[in-house]
Amino acid sequence: MTNPFREDLVSRSRPESCTVVIFGATGDLTHRKLVPALYNLAVDGELPTGVKIIGFARREKSDAEFREGLLELNRKVSRSGHDDAIWGPFSENISYHQSEFTDPDGYKRLAERLDAIDQERGRKGNRLFYIASAPEFFDPILISLKEAGLNEAAPGCWSRVIVEKPFGTDLATAKHLNEVVNATFHESDTYRIDHYLGKETAQNLMVLRFANAIFEPLWNSRYISHIQITCAENLGMEGGRGGYYDHAGALRDMVQNHLLQLLSLVAMEPPTDLSADGVRDEKVKVIRSLRQWDTPEKVAANVVRAQYTAGHIDGAAVPGYREEDRVNPESTTEAYVAVRLLIDTWRWSGVPFYIRMGKRLPKKSTEISVHFKPAPCVLFNALPGGVPGGNVLVIRIQPDEGISLRMVSKLPGTSLRLEPVKMDFHYATSFGKGSPEAYERLLLDAMAGDATLFARRDEVEEAWKFIDHIEHAWHQSDNPPPMANFTAGSWGPKEADDLLDQDGHAWRRL
Amino acid sequence: MDPELGEEVPVASIDKELRKLWEADEVHTNASLINLVTCSEQTGSLRQNSAIIRELTREHACRAILVEFDRTVEIPSIRAWITAHCHLAEGKKSVCCEQIAFVFTGRVTGRFRNTVFGHLNSDLPLVFWWQGELSDVFRERLSSVIDRLVIDSSSWADPVANFVRLNEAVASSTLDLVVQDLAWTRTWQYRLSLAGMFDDPVALSALPSIETVRIVHHPKHRSSALQLLAWISIQAGWRQGLGLAASHEGPVETFPLESKSGHAITASLEADESSAPLGLLELNAPGVTVRISRTAGAAHLLRELITSANSQTSLAPADPDDDAGLVGAQLARGGKNTLYRKVLPRFLELLGD
Repeated sequence: MTNPFREDLVSRSRPESCTVVIFGATGDLTHRKLVPALYNLAVDGELPTGVKIIGFARREKSDAEFREGLLELNRKVSRSGHDDAIWGPFSENISYHQSEFTDPDGYKRLAERLDAIDQERGRKGNRLFYIASAPEFFDPILISLKEAGLNEAAPGCWSRVIVEKPFGTDLATAKHLNEVVNATFHESDTYRIDHYLGKETAQNLMVLRFANAIFEPLWNSRYISHIQITCAENLGMEGGRGGYYDHAGALRDMVQNHLLQLLSLVAMEPPTDLSADGVRDEKVKVIRSLRQWDTPEKVAANVVRAQYTAGHIDGAAVPGYREEDRVNPESTTEAYVAVRLLIDTWRWSGVPFYIRMGKRLPKKSTEISVHFKPAPCVLFNALPGGVPGGNVLVIRIQPDEGISLRMVSKLPGTSLRLEPVKMDFHYATSFGKGSPEAYERLLLDAMAGDATLFARRDEVEEAWKFIDHIEHAWHQSDNPPPMANFTAGSWGPKEADDLLDQDGHAWRRL
Repeated sequence: MDPELGEEVPVASIDKELRKLWEADEVHTNASLINLVTCSEQTGSLRQNSAIIRELTREHACRAILVEFDRTVEIPSIRAWITAHCHLAEGKKSVCCEQIAFVFTGRVTGRFRNTVFGHLNSDLPLVFWWQGELSDVFRERLSSVIDRLVIDSSSWADPVANFVRLNEAVASSTLDLVVQDLAWTRTWQYRLSLAGMFDDPVALSALPSIETVRIVHHPKHRSSALQLLAWISIQAGWRQGLGLAASHEGPVETFPLESKSGHAITASLEADESSAPLGLLELNAPGVTVRISRTAGAAHLLRELITSANSQTSLAPADPDDDAGLVGAQLARGGKNTLYRKVLPRFLELLGD
């Protein structure tokens, strides 16, 4: 029997009540993102009734201490502010479960605890396991869940797992992790989270492309010169993040997941429908069609890696990468990467895609810019100086989400002078209401069984396949491409500028 | 200069004066996603509506056109004022929305439509908020150019007559006119909460055996209560009780309904001066009670699912009480409001009773 009151009410998949078990519950992600996201869903009335949250972690803590820590952070970071009237009943559903991640007894006790919740409810319930622990515990957590029988749902219920990044460190580890995950949960119950996909503008990409008739006819090699995807961060290794980052690097930390996901949304063909697999089938085709940089020479010609040296950001002196806290002074890890990608499909033949990601750049900004070819060289283009730049469509992912279009206009006056002008759409200006945090949307989708905004196994593995060639050339070849340098606070190394210059292009000034 | 309405300008110079408003200051961004027209025949409505628009433009950038018909003056005239409502976006950028306010006196026919429509932003949807009874002016071919019509059936002295006029307008609309009734908007969070509570298998399994429905409402909001009841009965597949008439005893109205399987359901509406617009919705089946309640002025709904084994409570947001909040909620949701169209015939049946 379906719930008749749901009919025609809200145009989204219906989230179902469940118990959310968060592994790594004492970590930053739980305190800053996950619990505030669940709280904000409760504020908006979107959280299904009866949702319980169990924090699973190693430290000794009482329920009250755990809640107190969450409350403290929620007051600081919650998108909608903090309201004790909501937090009170919300937090009554939060409890803490102390156990080592490898302790079978801890999982046995967890199973008993979940059974007790079911008993209290008077029926079997759904379970959502969120693995937000350090990556080295992914395997033991999944294996232990299986051994405790927690991966199997009761009849009519579901048991799902959300896995945080990093999903492996290379193709081999990703494949291994996928095997462990799929030996524990069905692929349809596995949600590999990439929070970039939960961002409003990322979701709007498909709407922009496929709900507007004016873009799609131009969205191909006939009209597009090239596409740039930039993820700039002005932060360095503050807060001890150097320890993780120096092992990962820009390519694995950001490009393999977030930026290739954005690339696939920009470049994919229209899906046959909006189902999770309909969309993901098209996305994975893009990643699969990437020309492989499978020799050190190809990597040297198409990829630039760099580290920053000491410089200034916002007027403050900042150290070089190798002088950062918890970074190896001899490190060969890249804090900046620029990649030229070619997608070997009919639509994108000959159109380069440039991706750059860097730490300690002048400002924080993530955007996609679509650079159109210039108008034919007649009429205005024949004027001295030609037309000042082609059309550029910019999709800003963060901050200041929005879309702008650069076009050429005549300057007022008796003479014919052309200048670029910009049509600009800002979410914050047009829609005063703030967008929900990415984690809110993604948690709700997982409760609803909608995996559209989550990465599928083949997407992850195809992305690693592409990345592995580059990592191999850098770290395992006899003739590794060099590491470039740039001053912190600048827009990256000269070699990255040269990469585009070879094709007659230049990085967009942000 | 009127402190609320801004500078009074000649009607013929409105566009020129608006341009001056922007030329004088480069730090503001002029934003507009819709044309929002408010119409009222109540004296003094312009200032009230201007205050509402100021709130509304925090989240909904629009070109606002406020219209007041002053029936006390017979000589035809039009006065106009222009201003802008500015708000800081993300604490730095000043985003402003233009407002044009008109007072029409004397016979309105002809001038009203042309004056208002001459000042719309082209290509943007037209949201038309008609306040009060649907008078003859409303019939003046307005509905043919409106994308979205906002009304509040709670404010109508004669809802049946007004709904007849509304249906005529919808039928004659050349566009796909979407009607948004603020009385219906007041039921939104109750509907969401009820749907959420019936996601629970225990509640859902009790739905076929519901015996009573009880709704407590403020006397001014009978329309919302009836629409809520109409929605519940349509969605649950209940019919009006055959051969049984609705009854009215003091502040309590009773409506006999019948489930799909033919068992009797008693629905009661209780008017209570101390209630929130909608103060209580309670559905009872043997061993299961689904209850949603709100005390007057509270920001949250209290949701309770009580079974013989246990009870679950949770909070959910309440619908706004103020007009700005209600219109804002409608604009934020958009859509074609097909559910309202679906529920309207049952609501009118209940209203007729």
